[in-house]
Formats: sequence, C-alpha cells, structure tokens
Amino acid sequence: METRSLIKDLLRFTNSNQVFLLSALLVTFLFTLLLSISLGSFNFSLLELFNSTRDSLHTTVLYEIRIPRVLLAAFVGASLGLSGASLQGLFRNPLADPGLIGVSAGAALGASIIIVLGSSLFPSFIFGAFILPIAAICGAALVISLLYVFTRGFGYQGITYMLLVGIAVNAFASVGIGILTYISTDSELRGLTFWTMGSFGGASWYLILPAIIVITLSMLWMIPSSRKLDLLQLGEPEAYRLGVDVKRLKYKVIISSAITVGVSVSLSGMIGFVGLVVPHLVRLLGGVNHSYLLPGSALLGAGLMMSADLISRTLIQPAELPVGLITSAIGAPFFLWLIFRIRKI
Amino acid sequence: MRMIIIYFKNEINTILKMRSFLIAISFFTSLILSDCNEASDSSRTVIAGGSLTEITYFLEQENKLIAVDVTSNYPKKTRELDSIGYVRALSTEGLLSLSPTLILGEDDMGPPLVIDQLALTGVDIRIVPEEQTSEGILSKIRCLSSILGVSKSFQDQKISLLAKDVNKLKKTASKNSKNPKRVMLILNMQGTSPIVAGRNTSGDSFIKMTGAKNVVTSFEGWKPVNSEAIISYNPDYILITERGMGSFGDIESLSKEPSLKFTRAAKNKNILSEDGMAMLGFGVRTLGTALNFSRIFSEE
Repeated sequence: METRSLIKDLLRFTNSNQVFLLSALLVTFLFTLLLSISLGSFNFSLLELFNSTRDSLHTTVLYEIRIPRVLLAAFVGASLGLSGASLQGLFRNPLADPGLIGVSAGAALGASIIIVLGSSLFPSFIFGAFILPIAAICGAALVISLLYVFTRGFGYQGITYMLLVGIAVNAFASVGIGILTYISTDSELRGLTFWTMGSFGGASWYLILPAIIVITLSMLWMIPSSRKLDLLQLGEPEAYRLGVDVKRLKYKVIISSAITVGVSVSLSGMIGFVGLVVPHLVRLLGGVNHSYLLPGSALLGAGLMMSADLISRTLIQPAELPVGLITSAIGAPFFLWLIFRIRKI
Repeated sequence: MRMIIIYFKNEINTILKMRSFLIAISFFTSLILSDCNEASDSSRTVIAGGSLTEITYFLEQENKLIAVDVTSNYPKKTRELDSIGYVRALSTEGLLSLSPTLILGEDDMGPPLVIDQLALTGVDIRIVPEEQTSEGILSKIRCLSSILGVSKSFQDQKISLLAKDVNKLKKTASKNSKNPKRVMLILNMQGTSPIVAGRNTSGDSFIKMTGAKNVVTSFEGWKPVNSEAIISYNPDYILITERGMGSFGDIESLSKEPSLKFTRAAKNKNILSEDGMAMLGFGVRTLGTALNFSRIFSEE
C-alpha cells in the first residue's frame, strides 16, 4: 500500500516525458549493473558461469568480491546523487554538495584517526574491519550534532547561516586531517592518501549489508518529501504559508543526507563531484521538479559510480586507480562548462 | 591534478630526479658530498633516515647524535633525541638551530631547496649511497663508519657479526631462487584495496633478497591492487607491515578478509607480518628479517 501510494504521488507531479526519462535511466542503470558485474580483472564469462557450476573459484570471485563491490558503488552513487539533489533543493543553491555541510569531512576525520592512530589506540581490537566505518560514522554524527547545536536545532537564522557553519566545520576537520597527515608514517600516509581519493576495494558482504539497509531506508524516507522541496523553491516563508513544515523538512533532509553520506564515506572514502554534478545532469535532461529529480539523481548517481568504479578497476589492472580520481576527472570539466554556461546567460 | 600527481608520483619522480640531477651537477657538486671520507667533525651529527640511525646505534656511535628524523624509530632510545621532523620535509632554520656539524641522509632527504640552503651554510652534508641488497647494507655500514671515524678494527669486528648472516642468507636465497616462492608484500590495507609493492620499490628488493619472486611485475611503485587481481596472482606467501595490519589485529582475522581469503597464502596460513622498517628500511635489521623469511620460504 505504502509503496503504491508513494509511486502514485510521485507520478502525479511528473510529466510523461520525465517518466520516459526515468525509465531510460533505470534501463541504463540495469545495463551498467550487468556490465560492471561481467567485467573485471579476473576474466570469465558470466553466461558460462550460470550455465555450469564447475569452477568454484569463479563463483567465489563473482559472489564474494565483484558483486558486493558493484552494489556498494551503486548504493554510494545513489546516496550521493540523492543527497546532493535534496541539499541543493533545501539550500536553494545549485552549488550545494554533501561535502558542503561538513559531513564528509567529519567522516573523513573519523576514518583518518583510525588509519593513523588506530594501531596504537586499539592494540588488538575486536571490531576488526568494522572499526574504520564506525569511526567515520561517529565523525559524521559529531558534525551533525555540531550543526544542530550551532543552528539551535537547524532553525536559527535560516539556511545560509547553516552553510557558513558547514564551511567552518569543514575547515576544522581539514585541520585535524592535516595534523594526522603530518604525524603519520610513510605507510600510513599512503593509506590515508589513497583512502581520501576513494575506493570500493574494501567491500565485503558483512560490511556493505548494514550500509545498504541504512541507505535504502533513508532514501525511502527522503523521496516522498519531493513535493515539499518543490514548494520550498518559492522561499522559506512562502513555503511555510503554503503549509510546508519547513523545520521538519530541514531535519529530514539534513539528517537523512548526513546518515547516507556518513555511511558512504565510511565505506568508500571521499568521492568528489558526484553529489554536485549528478543533480545538474538530471535537471539538464528533464526538469527541476523534485519528484523527478530525486529518483533520477539516485539512478544516474548509481550508474555513474558503477561506471567510474569499472574504469577504476579495469583501466590499469592489476593496479587500480582511486575512484575519486575518475569521478573528479569527469566532474571538473563538466563543472567548468556549467559555470561558463551560467555566465553566458 | 594533485591527486594525479600523487598517484603517478613514481613516474614523475623519475623525470624530476633526472632534471634535479642535472641541476645538481651544474651548481652544487662541490657542496653536497656523497663520498664516505671521514667527516672533519662528527661530534654533533643529525640523521635523516631510519636505517642510518639504526646503523649508527649498531656501530655504538650514538653519543655523536643530537637529532634524528621521524622515520628513525629504532632503537627506542632515539625518542630521547631531538626530532627534525619528516625526512622529506626538513626545515633549514630548524636544523641550523641545532648547530649540527654533520648531516647524514639518504637520497630521499629533502626538499632539495632546503638541502641546497644547508649546503650553502657550509655544514657537512652527506648523502649515503644505498643499494637495496644484502651487500648494499654492508657497504652502507662501511660507508657510515668511515664517515663517523670508527676505527677499522672495530668496524671489521661489527661487520663480521653480520657477515655470517649475510652468507647464510645468500645460501638460502640462492636455494630458494631455484624454485622461487611467489610473494606479495602489502604496505597498508585499511579502507582501500591493499597497497602492494610493485617494481622498483624497497619491497621488491626485499623479496628478491630472500630469493623469492614478487608476484607483481606489471607496475612500478606502491599501488592499490584490486581484490580480483590478488586472487589471480594467488601468492604463496603474503608479507605485511605491522602498522599496515592496523585494526585487523591479528593474522587470523586478516586472512578472513575477502581480498586475501582465497589466496594460497591465506589458506595455508602463510601470512607473515613484521615491522615496516625491519623489512624495508635496509638497515641492520633488514638482514635478520630477510634471513628469517628466506628460511620460512625454504621449508616445504
């Protein structure tokens, strides 16, 4: 019932062209998913694998290594795209980005502490591979609490003020990461540098399952607010008079993007530009209403991230390029073009 | 851009090295010495390079040391000395404030501008040549002891302690190399794919010293390698630095990581961990570690 009414609600504010675009994005997404799963440095044919169950190593590679990695890339891409779109809507600012409110930086600080100080802080730690994501989520949570305190429950002095607080939080977290970089040893420094450039290399089922659940839940929580985000574009007081509980919407968008971004960063490092660029691409394709923009950004974000990861793991195999390098390499020129276009208008 | 530079650091470094080498010959040949002649005054020596510090303690010359860099963390007593920061990011004024009479480093000492400035002030700066083999370590020890003015007889006595190990190492290594074990060396694997030693790294040289074969032949430098490639490499042994294990805690939980789990090394519990400098520093301890590992590789 819930999902059906949700879909009906979404369709009500989406025109037929956009429905077509969304289905096209879905098809592209599925195609990329299939392509990502069938290609990799370990060479085998997917069809052959399904036809016979002879070679167990191939099945293990597929199920234990490649599929978790592709799924993680898809969910991280979707969450970055979606939170980018909703934050841009909330701040009514086309340059808003999940990194902007400082959540990614907070998560990065948490993870950096573990990478550099981990072995001396917890000599024989029971959490094992979980400790890094947990620390990153703690860092993200700390930033959200800071934002909450400084904006007195996200309500004080409007959205620009929150953006400024975010900038300060970002600067503060970079200081922390900088200090850790300075005191780290050669090997930790390498780990830290490669981690901040993003990688899906650490993906394994027991790590990504909780992440997938959390990201899915907060996406389902966020997408129904799309109509309210549309109204918010008229301005905060106007939206309030049209019956939008602006404060509640703020809570919803900030908390859900903080959670999804925190989880994403904790498992994959800092991946730039997807949160910023994907919503713009989706808008250019079909329009600005959030009932189309939010699901579209999630689908395109997932597709782009899977493709970037595919390039990252196959371009110079057996080594791999950090995935953040690829997303930024694609994102930066697009961003420049965007600025150029705005100037011309 | 910065990220691209970091990633292709090795390739760029090679180009830069050639350039700075040319500049170096044209301007500073007379100022920075890389010979092993005895220094006129080694009473206040500063060392930038963990292996050199290790060797200085091995030669019992630590009373001449006044400061070391942050990579010099063995033996533990080095913590009592002043620190000059990171070996590649030295500061001219900070170093001069210690009024050193002799600065010793390896070719990673930097930045070049600081080294040139220091040389211009007339401080005796030596770059101790490094060759990453067991003989190379011995000649590094010889070079350092002659710079520090250690008597010939004491030097011989100290080297003879190691010569035995070197001979044993050579013997086991040449035996191993007839049917070499395939080894992969991981520097760090927290949050990213394992960062693995490629060609022209200290890790590659270390593996060669033991008579084993590095599984990675297709790339240079330390790079993250994806899990699928690790499975197709299927190394017999995996070496990992202790710090690199980080929060994995022990070999047991490390060998359950999906990227390593399906390798022959993890199945046979052939994952060995050791302090990073003891493997890759090419100081005194590297000989012992290499001997130890080459013996393990020679067992069936």
